Formats: sequence, C-alpha cells, structure tokens
Amino acid sequence: MRKVSIAMAAMVAGAALAASGAASAQERTVKITGFGAKSGVVRVFGVNSEAALKAAAEEINKAGGVTLGDGSKAKFSIDFLDDRCNAEEGISVVRRIASSEAFVAVGPTCSNVAESLFGILQKKVGDASDSGLQFPIIADVAAKGGLAKISEWAFRNVPSEFEMYKSLMAWVKTQHPDLKTIYGGVEKDFAHSNATYGVMKAQAEGNGFQVLGTSEWLLNDTTFSTQVRDMKRANADIVAISAHPFTTCGVLKEMDRQGVKPKLLIGLTSSSSIETLQGCAKQAEGIIIPTSFAPVTPEATKAAEQVAKFGGSADLHSAAAYEIMFILKDVIERQKIMAKPDTVQADRNKMREGLAALKETKGLLGKVGRTADREAIKPFLYVHAKDGSWQVLHKPAT
Amino acid sequence: MDLLDLIDAVQSAADGILFGATYALLGIGFTLIFGVMHKINLSYAAASIGAAYASLLVLAVIKAPAILVFLIAAAAGGLIGGLVYLIGFRFIPLANPLATLMSTVGLLLLIDEIIVHTTAGVPLNYPALFSDVIVRAGPFGLRGDLMFVFALGCVCMVVLLLLLYRTRLGLATRAVSQQPTASKLCGISTTQVNVLTFVITGVVGGIAGAMTGAAIGMLSPLLSLPLTVKGLIVTVIGGLGSIPGAIIAGLIVGGLENVLQYFRGVSERDLYIMLLLFAFLVFRPGGIFAMPTGRD
Repeated sequence: MRKVSIAMAAMVAGAALAASGAASAQERTVKITGFGAKSGVVRVFGVNSEAALKAAAEEINKAGGVTLGDGSKAKFSIDFLDDRCNAEEGISVVRRIASSEAFVAVGPTCSNVAESLFGILQKKVGDASDSGLQFPIIADVAAKGGLAKISEWAFRNVPSEFEMYKSLMAWVKTQHPDLKTIYGGVEKDFAHSNATYGVMKAQAEGNGFQVLGTSEWLLNDTTFSTQVRDMKRANADIVAISAHPFTTCGVLKEMDRQGVKPKLLIGLTSSSSIETLQGCAKQAEGIIIPTSFAPVTPEATKAAEQVAKFGGSADLHSAAAYEIMFILKDVIERQKIMAKPDTVQADRNKMREGLAALKETKGLLGKVGRTADREAIKPFLYVHAKDGSWQVLHKPAT
Repeated sequence: MDLLDLIDAVQSAADGILFGATYALLGIGFTLIFGVMHKINLSYAAASIGAAYASLLVLAVIKAPAILVFLIAAAAGGLIGGLVYLIGFRFIPLANPLATLMSTVGLLLLIDEIIVHTTAGVPLNYPALFSDVIVRAGPFGLRGDLMFVFALGCVCMVVLLLLLYRTRLGLATRAVSQQPTASKLCGISTTQVNVLTFVITGVVGGIAGAMTGAAIGMLSPLLSLPLTVKGLIVTVIGGLGSIPGAIIAGLIVGGLENVLQYFRGVSERDLYIMLLLFAFLVFRPGGIFAMPTGRD
C-alpha cells in the first residue's frame, strides 16, 4: 500500500512538474521594441504606432503566438521607447535596445531620425572594416524617400510617395483634362514635406501641368497671409500643399479668408489623418490625398478597431506598424529564430536575412511588394475629405 | 516693383501689424515681470498657450461663445501665472540670476509637455470672432478677426497702463520695481506684489494666447517656442521694463516679419529680424524709448 502511495505521489509530482514545464514553455515571451516620437508635437505618431504594435501583438497572441526555432510557442510583448523625433535621442534609444536581447526594433517616426540612425548601422553586411551596429531596424513611419538604402540592416514598410504622387498626378490629368496649372505650398523646414514637394512638383510637370509658383512657410509659422496672397495672384487650377496638419490647416484657413478657391486641392500623405479634420474639416473639404491605408477591407477595418482599442488611430503610418508585427512573426518562424539570450547576434543575423529575402508581404489593403533596396511597394488609394471624414475617392490599379 | 507688388507689400505689412498685437501683449508680459522682479520668465509664452488650451476645456463641456472662451483663457492665464510664480520663483534663490532663468526654462518645457501629453500634439480648432468679416478699403482688405485681436490688444494695453499708473496696486508695483528695499520699509509686501504681477501678466498672457489661437484659427504646442522667441525680441527691442516700448516693438516686429516674408522669402525672413535684434543690442540696448546715452 505504501509503495502504491509513493508511486502515486511520484506520478502526481511528475505530472505537476510536466505541467509547470509546459506552462513555462507557454509563457515564453518575445519582446519587440518599438521607438518613435512620444513627446513633442509629433507625439501622436508615436502613440498611434505603439497602439498599432500592441493591437497586432494581441491579435497574434490570441491566435496562439509565434513559433520559435526550437518549436516552442511564445507570446509577443511590446515595449515602446520615446526618441522625441530627435536624431541623437533616436541613436541613443537604438543603442539601448541593441544592448538588450532584442533581435529587431521597429521605428522611428521622423525621417531626420531615420536618416541619422541608419547611418550608424553597418553599411554592407559582412564588411569587417565597418564597425557599424549590426542590428536590424524596420521603419513604420519615417517617410522620406530612399532611406533604407543607407544600410543593409535598415528596412521599411512605408509607402512609396513617388509612386503615389506619380499615379495621382496622372489620374488627375485624365479625370480633369481642363485643369492646366498648379501652384505649390511647402513646409520648407520639414524633411518629409520638403522632399515630397519635390516629388509632387516633378510629377505635376511630368504630367504636363504648368507649375506657376511655390509658397513656402515653416513648420511653426503663425501667419500665412503673404504666402496665400501669392497663391491668389497665381490663380492656379490646382493647389498642392506639402505640409503637416498644423500648417496645412493654417494655410487652408487663410485661403478660405482670402477667397482662394482652386478647382482641386492636393495634400501630403501625412495629412490624411484625423488631426487635419480636427483642425480644419470645413476648409479641408475636397482635398485629395493618396494614402496606403483606409478601412476598406475586412482586415483593415478590424485593424482600425483594434488600434482604437489601444488608444490609437489607424492611419497610413500606424497601419504600417500593425503590418510589421505580422511580418516579424513570419520571419521569426521562417528563419527559426530562437529568441534566447545566447543566440542574440545569430537571431539578429537571421532576422536581417529573413527581412532581406522577403519578396512580398501581406498588407491590410492587399499584397505588399518588397524591393531590393529593402523598401515596400504598398497598394494605395486616394481619399478625399468629405463631410468631416476621409472617404475613398479612387483605388488605382497597382 | 509694379503696383500689384506695392499693394501686396502694404497689405502684408498691415496684416503683420495687426497680428503684431499678440506679440505686443506677450512683450508686455515679459517686460512687466522683468520690470518688477528683474527676472526673465521664459515660460511666459508657453503658459499663455497653455491658458488658451485650458479655455478649450469649456468647449468640451458646453457650446460656449468665443468671447466666453477668451474670458476663460484670461482667467486660466491668471491661475497659471500664479502657479508659475509659486513653482518657478517663490522658493528659488532670487539672488542667483541663473536659478530663476533655468527654472523658467524647465517650466516652459513642462507646460509644453503637459499640452502635448493632454492633446497628443494634435492641433485643435480655436474659435475666432469676426473671422468672416473683411473690411475693404480699395485694393486693401483688413481681416475682421485680426482687427478684433488688435483692438482687444490695445484695450489690454490701456487697462494695464491705467492699472500701473492710476491704482495703488500699480503704485506698489512700480515701487517694488524701482526700490524693493525701500518698498519693504514702507510696508509693501513684495511677495504679494510679485504674485499679483504674475497673475496680472498671466491674464494678459491668457488673452495673448487666445488671440493667437483666434488669429491662426488653431492651437498647437508648436506655437510655444516661436512665441517665446518673438516675445523676447519684442521685449529687447522695446526696452526691458518699458510697456510702451513693448507695444511699439510688437507691432514693428509683426509688420516687419510679414514685409520681409514678402520681399525676401521664408528662408531669410527670420535672419533680418535677428539682425534687427542685434542692431538694437549694440546700438540701442535700452530699447526704442531709452536715452541714447549711457550705453555701457
């Protein structure tokens, strides 16, 4: 009897141990660190990115999590650090992330941060003479064209504004053959706005529009009367504004006051957000903006709801962060990443190789192509401000 | 330059002068605090914008008219002004000029971050009065909302001057400003005068913040830093401690800014304003109304 009791006790203890082992295997977590602006005037971008990363992580975790290289299951946890849209802070944040067991980081918000940050990464993989950081980073927001070229450790899931405005200008030309002239407005001291205006202008000229002039202002300007007066004198058919919501709204309000009513308004990708509608929905009515996100598919609608649950708003930038989590899950599984303290550098190498090998990923609006330069070719559509909300105007065949 | 250019240049100057009323109000705030305490309060413009933001809280609760929003901005400005004194000056060693300077820099950043964290940095609509009114005079047009801003700015300046030169509080304020020790010996509470100065300048700042929001049509935390810089420039050009100087300098800077924007563009505009600042610091460090002698 006593032997039976001992055997039973041993079985119970064994079962308990096995259960606890299984439980601990189930409880493995893979921490993904995002970074971006969570203070300063672009805080909303960081807030949205963090919410999107967390929303996607929850979706993945609900579906069972991610399978690691040793076959065990792990759940994602998200950490998000603030770089204040400052290049030095961004570099410091990434060095901090790279000194941990992280094998990838998601960010940053600002193109000026990405530009400097990608510069500290090793340029070419395997170059022994380059002591740059060997750590993969995938950007969700920083939108200035061509940034991933800086390093083979840099990746982006941001839309190509070149393709977007090329398509938009060609579409405008076919839809509105009566429109001949265009006038530009640009936030001169913001890298993204300035670079994108170059794209808008080139594409306008390429499609036969006559560019009558350009008004310039600064990100924190308070008056726009002089610039808008120039715009009024030009009397162009189309006005294209490459600026973020605060000055876009400032200019639109001044245009309203001065009675400047172009036949068509075109805006910057980043202005297709709730901020513009909160600031100047009435004056923005009709503005056309190309964007890589709108809740037009079941996946996109669900993502928007999930992001809202985490206190963010889904837009073209945060949707990219959402998609990145699913990309990372796929790469972790395909590359058999171990996510263990003793495999950190090997995991980083595998992650980089996995990201570099991607030819196509699944996006919220459809398939996303990948270029050899580690950039994304995302599907996009045109939205316009109508009755205080963003509504889909046209979905080009891409 | 053809006639159209000339008309545009004059129109730009007029718009700038009207908007300059907000710079003048900010300059008055800086100059009053400097006049009384001989300290620069770098958080003043941020507090003004903070007050304007605070006034929007009422719109979240009820559909209030613009004028009520402005009044709440003024009241919030007074409250924030008092808090700024309490946090940034009351317990800081006033004998050390750097201590209060740094404490107000800290407050500037603190107020800015509070705004950013509360609103996520999203620009918010701000109500305006007479925004759909344009007063036409030949080829020129003056914006109704800017004229209101200008008129309200002028009223504030007159009230402040009356307060300073026609009331016992003003007398006490000027006494503390000129002879703090003698004022104490006469039984004037310097702490009380200082607090009241901060509250009054806070009220003016709240109005300036509201007028800035009304003139642009929006509020953004982006406004704090440029308004701080403009306020300081106006204070230096107007002469530290001179209210009439701050008024004139505010209007000059506003007008010049627009004219330079028109002739030289956005990339050079601020360069000339800064050169003007340096010219004043070198040739007329006491500001517009200072005596030309006694430079050093």
